Amino acid sequence: MLVKRLLPFMLLLVLSSCYRILSSEGGGQIEKSPNARAINAADIALPEGYTIEAVATGLTFPTSVAFDAEGRLYVIEAGYSYGEVFLEPKLLRVEAGGNLTTIATGEKNGPWTGITYHNGNFYVAEGGELKGGKILRISPKGEINALVEDLPTKGDHHTNGPAIGPDGNVYFALGTATNSAVVGPDNYNYGWLKRHPDFHDIPCQDVTLTGQNYTSEIPLASKSGKQTTGPYSPYGTPASAGQVIQGALPCSGAVFKITPEGGNMELVAWGFRNPFGLAFSPTGKLYVSDNSFDVRGSRPAWGTGDYLWEIQQGLWYGWPDFTGGKPLHNKSYAPPGEKTPQRLLANHPNTPPKPAAVLGVHSSSNGLDFSTNNNFGYAGEAFIAQFGDMAPQVGKVLDPVGFKVMRVNVQNGVIKEFAANKGKENGPASKLKSGGLERPIAVKFSPDGTSLYVVDFGIMRMTKENSFPQQNSGVIWKISKK
Amino acid sequence: MKTTYAILILCCLLFVIACGTAKRGTPHYASVATTKEAVAKGEVVYNIYCQKCHPGGATGVGPALNNKPLPGTAIRFQVRHGMGMMPAFKEDVISDEEMDNLIAYMKVLRKAKDKTK
Ligand code: HEC
Repeated sequence: MLVKRLLPFMLLLVLSSCYRILSSEGGGQIEKSPNARAINAADIALPEGYTIEAVATGLTFPTSVAFDAEGRLYVIEAGYSYGEVFLEPKLLRVEAGGNLTTIATGEKNGPWTGITYHNGNFYVAEGGELKGGKILRISPKGEINALVEDLPTKGDHHTNGPAIGPDGNVYFALGTATNSAVVGPDNYNYGWLKRHPDFHDIPCQDVTLTGQNYTSEIPLASKSGKQTTGPYSPYGTPASAGQVIQGALPCSGAVFKITPEGGNMELVAWGFRNPFGLAFSPTGKLYVSDNSFDVRGSRPAWGTGDYLWEIQQGLWYGWPDFTGGKPLHNKSYAPPGEKTPQRLLANHPNTPPKPAAVLGVHSSSNGLDFSTNNNFGYAGEAFIAQFGDMAPQVGKVLDPVGFKVMRVNVQNGVIKEFAANKGKENGPASKLKSGGLERPIAVKFSPDGTSLYVVDFGIMRMTKENSFPQQNSGVIWKISKK
Repeated sequence: MKTTYAILILCCLLFVIACGTAKRGTPHYASVATTKEAVAKGEVVYNIYCQKCHPGGATGVGPALNNKPLPGTAIRFQVRHGMGMMPAFKEDVISDEEMDNLIAYMKVLRKAKDKTK
């Protein structure tokens, strides 16, 4: 009988769940950043038969690498990081021995998020945190020309890419302004809402709203006091049921292409959140990595993985109402003790496709590239750099997630670790007090496909409200077959 | 009465296991032998539905699964009923056959972890 009386209590205990009780243990949650970054390749685990070495160190916010026609290695430094650090972005050549030669210096409008080399020029995605995003063409002498500018990426996410398609066009992507289409307190904390109080997301086609609104209050000079905000609208502008928001190009959360000379932008696909990494598979298909929802702001969502998408022309991939092909308006995506994210769009352009792979919640799965060489191994698989969680700002994790390089079988979605720090616990080197990987942000194979370069952004400490990126802590690693 | 006891014990077990050892279990390159067809199929199911919260069987948003002797019934119960913050996966999402494969894979995943340093 006692058991019968105890049962409801026990059930309650279980249902109340230890996830709710435990505190967040993100990779960036360290007391203070180390004074200098230790580097020790022996602290990194790889599959049998591979070796890793650091080929450049002391970089400030490196985000991507490229190779010129002679196979020489180049790296870009972003010039902006979360935490509101504004510097000049740079294109650097990595000389033998790791010395760096400056090729070009950009304006304070980072982050430069990606670079590729094509027919004698570099193509760089300029994030556009201050003045809007751009796609730049940079000559080997360092002359910078903008092929497109004024891209609407002054918010949470930036202008990303670029990658050259089998058709010779330049493909790039724009991230969304917000976490889930509603401007609010999280954007104020990021910093940009003070600069651009009217900035918001733009749909690529006309969308009809359900009329869902969100109320918040922040000390924004021009819009103080309680404000009601609708999706795809400036902070403090409410929406109504049946209201049509006009689509426009360029738009938020979308992939585009232009010719290498610039000219008209063409929409490839939309409905992404932060499409960060773009790469073409050996069979010529475009794949994009997409950072999923965070538990922050007016419309937080819990437990949504990062995705790898195979891109089909013209499709809508689901943001802000779907995650990984499933409706977000489902109680399983409600953060502990909070509401289920409500549906924002009255009609959906199409049923979103299923992802090619589902990666860790908050893993920040970013730059990707395909192996093409059987001598390196895993030909046809996608390699993805995981920047690692930004908990507790983006939500709660019980242990660090990411901080590794994964490989993905894009046929069946099976994900395996390729490079990760040794030890009993997962996490960035600064947390493990080792000399291994910190925050991998991009991977790129050498032109002959025999080695994999891993761009490691460096140390970034996190608190609930802020990010503390550490200058001069970035590294480029090179992985080869023994 | 028997079932009440069974549920009670299962609940206690799950709770103690989940809260007690949330922070362990990185897989580290133990190669999971997927030569058996059920295990290979289970690996695909795991990657589609479980990996994002239990990456590689280790702790992430959810607790580690590869560091504790969870019996098949406990896994099945947890997946079908989704206790705490974990969502439930019913038969229309993960079929009974897929569930069997999933459990076969998770057992191999745990063994593989035991072999690593
Ligand atoms: C959205 C995230 C999420 C997904 C997806 C998920 N889980 Fe979980 N899982 C959790 C959380 C969180 C807990 C702990 C419950 C709590 O504390 O609220 C848990 C607990 C468990 C437990 C109990 C572990 C213990 O220590 O008692 C098992 C077993 C489990 N999950 C297996 C699975 C399997 C198998 C799948 C795939 C079919 C899966 N989970 C998918 C989040 C998830």
